Amino acid sequence: MTFLDLVRKNLFRKKLRTILTVVAIVIAFAIFGVLATFQNALNAGVDTAGADRLMVTNKINFTLQMPVAYVQRTRSVEGVKLVSHADWFGGYFRDPRIFFAAIAVDPPTYLDIYPEYQLPPKHRQAFLSNRTALVAGKAVADQFGWKVGDRIPLKSNIFQQMDGSDSWDFTLAGIIKGESARIDTNFVLFHYDYFKGTRSFGGDTIGWMIIQTRSAKDNARVMKEVDSLFANSPFETETQTEQAFAKAFIEQAGDLGFIITAVVGSAFATILLIAGNTMMLTVRERTNEIAVMKTLGFASERIFALVIGESLLLAVIGGALGVFIAWLSSFALQNATGGTFGPMTFTPGIAIWSVVLMGLLGLLTGWLPAVRAMRINVVAALGGK
Amino acid sequence: MGRTLNQIAAVTMMNLRSIPGRLWISLSTVVAVALVTSVLLAFLAMANGFQSTVQGTGAADVAVMLRKGSGSELNSTISREQALLLEDAPGIARGADGKALVSPELYVVVDGIKKSSRTKANLPLRGLSARADQVRRGVKVSAGRMFRSGTNELVVGRAVSRQFEGFELGRTIKLASQKWTVVGEFEAGGSVFESEIWADVALLQGLYQRGSTVQTVRARLRDPTSLAELKKFSESDPRLKLDVQAENAYYAEQGKGMSDIILYLGWPLAIAMSLGALAGALNTMYASVDARMREIATLRAIGFGGAPAFVGTMAESLLLSVIGGVVGAIATFLLFDGISAATLGSNFTQVVFSLKLTPALVLQGVILSLVIGFAGGVFPAWRAARAPLLAAFKER
Repeated sequence: MTFLDLVRKNLFRKKLRTILTVVAIVIAFAIFGVLATFQNALNAGVDTAGADRLMVTNKINFTLQMPVAYVQRTRSVEGVKLVSHADWFGGYFRDPRIFFAAIAVDPPTYLDIYPEYQLPPKHRQAFLSNRTALVAGKAVADQFGWKVGDRIPLKSNIFQQMDGSDSWDFTLAGIIKGESARIDTNFVLFHYDYFKGTRSFGGDTIGWMIIQTRSAKDNARVMKEVDSLFANSPFETETQTEQAFAKAFIEQAGDLGFIITAVVGSAFATILLIAGNTMMLTVRERTNEIAVMKTLGFASERIFALVIGESLLLAVIGGALGVFIAWLSSFALQNATGGTFGPMTFTPGIAIWSVVLMGLLGLLTGWLPAVRAMRINVVAALGGK
Repeated sequence: MGRTLNQIAAVTMMNLRSIPGRLWISLSTVVAVALVTSVLLAFLAMANGFQSTVQGTGAADVAVMLRKGSGSELNSTISREQALLLEDAPGIARGADGKALVSPELYVVVDGIKKSSRTKANLPLRGLSARADQVRRGVKVSAGRMFRSGTNELVVGRAVSRQFEGFELGRTIKLASQKWTVVGEFEAGGSVFESEIWADVALLQGLYQRGSTVQTVRARLRDPTSLAELKKFSESDPRLKLDVQAENAYYAEQGKGMSDIILYLGWPLAIAMSLGALAGALNTMYASVDARMREIATLRAIGFGGAPAFVGTMAESLLLSVIGGVVGAIATFLLFDGISAATLGSNFTQVVFSLKLTPALVLQGVILSLVIGFAGGVFPAWRAARAPLLAAFKER
């Protein structure tokens, strides 16, 4: 019988107790995995931000406008490679409660500046050449079952057409996929020129500009120069990195990081107690047997390793099952939320963290019982009867 | 019958007295249940606090008028012409001077710095005219005074000065590229208004290049039933065709989304954690039954029935869980009740609210702990009730 066999046999001697403990561990790891997936979704914008991309918004608040003429002036700033612009449409499709971003953009520069948005060349061409064309991110297209060529009416809760209607008609020219699953595709894009020419107010203004710098090293200087270009005008700007902008945006929702950490912490505190007690009971019940093993010449270190091995195995079995459940849930979550909170992705990082947690859990719950087992006094244990 | 009851009482007491012998494993159940209960209660308190702040906003006899389809004040626009038409609308109460009690208002977003994270967050800056305080009752300037028309003065809701930097009374603050003096702080019954900054509407129209348009018009109704009259008036005039709602109904609708999200997160998490705690409770109770096996079997041998063993075990399980539930509730109350938090409301601006734990919520937490205790006790209790007599003589 090998060492591992012994560990395994010991672990399943009290089947019911082991299974119950494993169930508790599975649940804790599933909670960790699911919440980490959720956090991934929320942080997608921060984590996938381009290092060389800057956001220029109105200094008063990012929901306010700026003149479209700013785009040309910004292009002349040293270190700027590309400038694109965008405007928030406040759009929805039939049901205003289903959220996605509807953005009026300058299509060629916008697609160039976000190379992570993948659009087949044929569809790109169709989008660029048709003023009333729309491209949809995959999350939106999936949510509503749109197909290329569909006529899509979008309503706005902000803008109206000249004739007082709040609905614009588009033709779906293509569907944008993210280059990785972490890219948020819960958006639709259409032509700013078409939008500007048909809306009843708003005039020649845009919502924000996106700058691509020649290199991330130029960021700080470009940020300063762009803002000073428009200082003391009626539309002062604030330029920051895409990452900083995304981060501040998430912070608006509240301290979600704290909530997630607190819940995961509670779940792990619970299993630490449950698994720890299981191991304690196990060692106590086997006092005699361990004493016999010692008499037979098992070294204390070997006995220590036997108990720690058992608690590690317990943590790994439960942890692996829990991670598997969380991985499956990430697909269900993506379907259920339709990308509203961002793309729900189970990344390798979550798996790595899970393994670290399994190791910690195994060591922490096994340590005290293992020390206790190592110190069992043979004479007292066998002679006491 | 009487004898069975006596036996049950005796065995239950024996059972409970033996808990200290299994102190650590029993404590682990208590703590596990306490953690589950407090996670659940923290989420419930959060949803409840947010909901009562948003839904406690607005009066039934105030009408809010928005551009059709705009859904929220932020997205609405109302022209001066429309605002003037509304002054002659039916159903609206009139002041001592005979003029209609209407309040054309502007609602814009400015940046505030959250004290907790030191990051920028959207704050609502509302432009009001002198008549506004006759329309909106229940607002009290609790420190300082109201702003004067035509000056760069503002008053802030008390939640704003609590959660955001630089709004202390007398301070000068830069908002919307202008310097403002904070001249007053107001209370509004813990409602969403306390998360707002108020200033002169005419001044803001100039600053934001809005000309004479506003975003919403509020009107004090003669009584809540006059809303229908006002609605009909707006519908029949093609120049108006506004969304007319009672103010309280408007906010009730706005509060729904976020508190639903909190509840949809909170309950599934609590249920999942409960299953984990349940596994722990079962382990504890099986260990308890195993430890008392000889004692139980001995009792059976001298003529005790199975029922006392069953009830005794159940009582132990329920007691441990309910202690956990109560400890969890107390911990949640001490740690979270009344703490202030802020999140994005449906107007895309911050809503400050306080976590609020009510007796009804605590009851839900305690019920959850009892369910765990029951499920965690019933199978081990069954095993105890069927303890074989031979176990009395078994070596341990």
